[in-house]
Amino acid sequence: MSNTSIISDKQKSTADITPLALFSKYRLAGFYLAISLIVLSIIGLGFKGLNLGLDFTGGYMTEFTTSLSIDKGQMQTQLATHLSGDFELNSGAANTQWTIRQTDGTAHVIDKDWLNNFATQSGYDITPQDSVYIGSQVGSELIDNGGLALLVAAIAMMVYLTWRFEWRLACGSLVALVHDVLVVLGLFSWLGLPFDLTVLAAVLAIIGYSLNDSIVIGDKLREVMRSKTNMNMSDIVDSAVKSTLTRSLITSGTTLATIGTIWIFGGQPLQAFAIALFAGVVFGTLSSIAVSATIPQLIGLNPEFYQHRAQELLVNDEP
Amino acid sequence: MRKTTAKPKHTWQILVIIITVVILGLNAIPTLYGNNNALLVSGVNSTQPLPSIQQLRDVMLQQNIQVKQIINGDADSKIVIDGDDEALVHAQQQLKSELGDDYQVRLGNQSAAPKWLQELGMSPIKLGLDLSGGVLFVLEVDTDRADQERLANAKDETLQIIHDHGLRGMSVKMAGTENNLVSKADVTTKNPVAQTETEGKLDLHFLSHQAAKVKAVVTDLQQRLPGITYSKTGERSATLAFSEQSITTFHHEIMAQALTTLRGRIEELGITEAVTQRQGQSRIRIELPGVKDPEQAKRIIGATASLDFYEMANSGTMGAKSFTDEDGRHLRVAPKPIFTGSNIENANSGRDEMGIALVNLTLDGIGGKKMSEFSRDNIGNPMVTIFSEYHKNSADEMIKNSRVISVATIQSQLGNRFSITGLDSPQAASDLALLLRAGSLDAPITIVQQRTIQASLGKENVNNGIMALAIGLGITLVFMGLWYRKLGLIANTSLVLNLVCLLGLMALLPNVVLTLPGIAGLVLTVGMAVDTNVLIFERIKEERKRGRSNFLAIETGYKEAFATILDANVTTMITALILLSIGYGPVKGFAMTLSLGILTSMFTGVFVAHVLTYIVKPQIAVKQKELKA
Repeated sequence: MSNTSIISDKQKSTADITPLALFSKYRLAGFYLAISLIVLSIIGLGFKGLNLGLDFTGGYMTEFTTSLSIDKGQMQTQLATHLSGDFELNSGAANTQWTIRQTDGTAHVIDKDWLNNFATQSGYDITPQDSVYIGSQVGSELIDNGGLALLVAAIAMMVYLTWRFEWRLACGSLVALVHDVLVVLGLFSWLGLPFDLTVLAAVLAIIGYSLNDSIVIGDKLREVMRSKTNMNMSDIVDSAVKSTLTRSLITSGTTLATIGTIWIFGGQPLQAFAIALFAGVVFGTLSSIAVSATIPQLIGLNPEFYQHRAQELLVNDEP
Repeated sequence: MRKTTAKPKHTWQILVIIITVVILGLNAIPTLYGNNNALLVSGVNSTQPLPSIQQLRDVMLQQNIQVKQIINGDADSKIVIDGDDEALVHAQQQLKSELGDDYQVRLGNQSAAPKWLQELGMSPIKLGLDLSGGVLFVLEVDTDRADQERLANAKDETLQIIHDHGLRGMSVKMAGTENNLVSKADVTTKNPVAQTETEGKLDLHFLSHQAAKVKAVVTDLQQRLPGITYSKTGERSATLAFSEQSITTFHHEIMAQALTTLRGRIEELGITEAVTQRQGQSRIRIELPGVKDPEQAKRIIGATASLDFYEMANSGTMGAKSFTDEDGRHLRVAPKPIFTGSNIENANSGRDEMGIALVNLTLDGIGGKKMSEFSRDNIGNPMVTIFSEYHKNSADEMIKNSRVISVATIQSQLGNRFSITGLDSPQAASDLALLLRAGSLDAPITIVQQRTIQASLGKENVNNGIMALAIGLGITLVFMGLWYRKLGLIANTSLVLNLVCLLGLMALLPNVVLTLPGIAGLVLTVGMAVDTNVLIFERIKEERKRGRSNFLAIETGYKEAFATILDANVTTMITALILLSIGYGPVKGFAMTLSLGILTSMFTGVFVAHVLTYIVKPQIAVKQKELKA
């Protein structure tokens, strides 16, 4: 009995004595973290750039497996003696899975016969898996289309948000969205991970996910602003974020768990895709808590706006 | 439970749910069974009797291939075998050599699901290349080049008309001839607008006293080539060009022709499950599942061969074309062919008495008529057969390579059947026959993207995907069950139903293809679909804390959370649709499962879960101290 009463006392103390101030501190810390992450990502993108995958650069990619593990340096030198022109060798799965990339217009393209020849000459047991050719024109078109898709997605979201929310709330969601996209791109540039079409798809999915979170919090924020007139803005934001926290954590948790299974079990082709989504959900959760509700507070959203509006639209807007 | 469902208020909702789930569930079942490999045997002529089942069975038995089923259809026999792609190709070769040239043996597959399901018209989800293995080609149709050729033809026509009218001194030439062809590749990519201004036109020059007669020439020309426009640019000059609309129609026709031709060629290759579709403005995407020999496929699909039959030009002919044959003789032929490869109905390779390879041709009605008229009037005159092909040179430019196949003297009036002789090899003859059967391509095509995925890699991808899905689903189900207890059970039921509906919907809808990123989309959908339930449940808890009764809390929870759920899903839908519009192949599969997943998760998460909650009637307990005043 005494035990439970101590716990409930403690809960009481965090809930009542320091009402939301502590939480507010964490939220602001998160906000600054998000800002510094954005800056870091921009630096990364500016200096290192993205390691564009075959989908965007065009060229040839050949994938094969060897039955035994072979030293990468040895493979590199052996390939170099047989292959004229530049190539890029990557290995995976304990040096049994190999990927060779060549640029479009290279003189000496690997095909099945070449691989068979190489197998007999080097004595390796080689099984071809996948071979891709993408014309450089197709690649550069895809960069345009991909960029356009990101832009169209951002604009469509902006239009949707301003129609749905007050502009300061929309602004907060938009900054959170830009943060999520930039941080994932920044991560890819700092780590030098290949950015291909599936990663672009992941980034677009992140845009949807990020807004999903922001909207839930925005809705709550609006609701609290309408009902609680006596609170100051910071406390309103805190209580809105807090009451959606459980939901945010559960949804992010299950989503991260499933993305985790794709990462671990999905095999090599989905690696970059899973990493992008995973990072997007982690940083998206951070930004939805710390950014999307903090920005409106910083640029002067206050409860009067919604109380005023609620009176105006009393009849047709809300029940 | 029965008692609650008997409540008249929800009967129709329960009915809707049961019907939807049963229909979609039935559609999902065949996917679990997968496909068996099959061979399709059909006669070259439809009148030919199909080989007996006994005969087919014997051939298979000799090769130690397990036959599962032989289905005799109207036009073909389907042999379903038990074995992988390797065995299938082996069986195909055996059958081909046993049955001879009179029969076609094509590769296909047959659903392994029980017969009653198949009879309901249900089939498994179509798998993308990254899951089934196979070859992908993306071809670019060079419409600019076709425009050039069309304009060149218009020039020849104009010259002929000017000649017919006897207007000496009037001349016509292609505009901007100095900078065409060679620099064209750069022009098209960098500045397509500027290009249309300088090129794609004919310059017409005439003497001042001929100005009145130009009108007649133009009217004549427009009669022969509708869509050509005339605009005067000076005292003694004018330009001729095809109208914007006519060019669009022309491009449309070229693409349609290319698609039909390529489909024909793929059929000739014996592949039934191929996907041939237009991708963007001027590209064609071809997916050939289970192809073993990409090089042969490439040679046949990528060829732009055309065959034209010409009359020799006499000295008065304007715009005569000239070719050089193998012996170095210059041949001048009439500007327009008598008929072209498109008039060929059937072509077969063979050998003449001397053992030299030849191709036997059968012409269609129009071609036959043209041929018999021409040969009647020209007995004793030669006819020139020209074979043209596009290929790329080292500088990546498209070069049209025309070759004189034969210069034959017409011995007698010919009908719709005759032969082309003098081919290099039996292989060349059979390739040519195949290309002629499938139709020719006027616009050159190039392969801009190619991918060969081994079937083993596809199988591995499927296994990986299913593993990720199973474990992801497992974790989510366990978590929701532990966290929300009875409500979690409702969430889990709706989540499983969501997956069943999604799979069923994907099998039901045409053009939906499951790819590896598509499976990833499925897994992601599982993780995100619980969001709907979580939002509602949290809301219900909140309402309970405010002191509402159990029933009222549930009602308000579903009602109030709906707006938020709708919003959240609309945003994901927008991104999925944008993705759908830019992506092809694998990424399209991801966008597909994502967007369909949103629809089904809204249905199960809001509608099904709501009704389930009515039936289960969970008690949501709240601690007294949490109650707010």
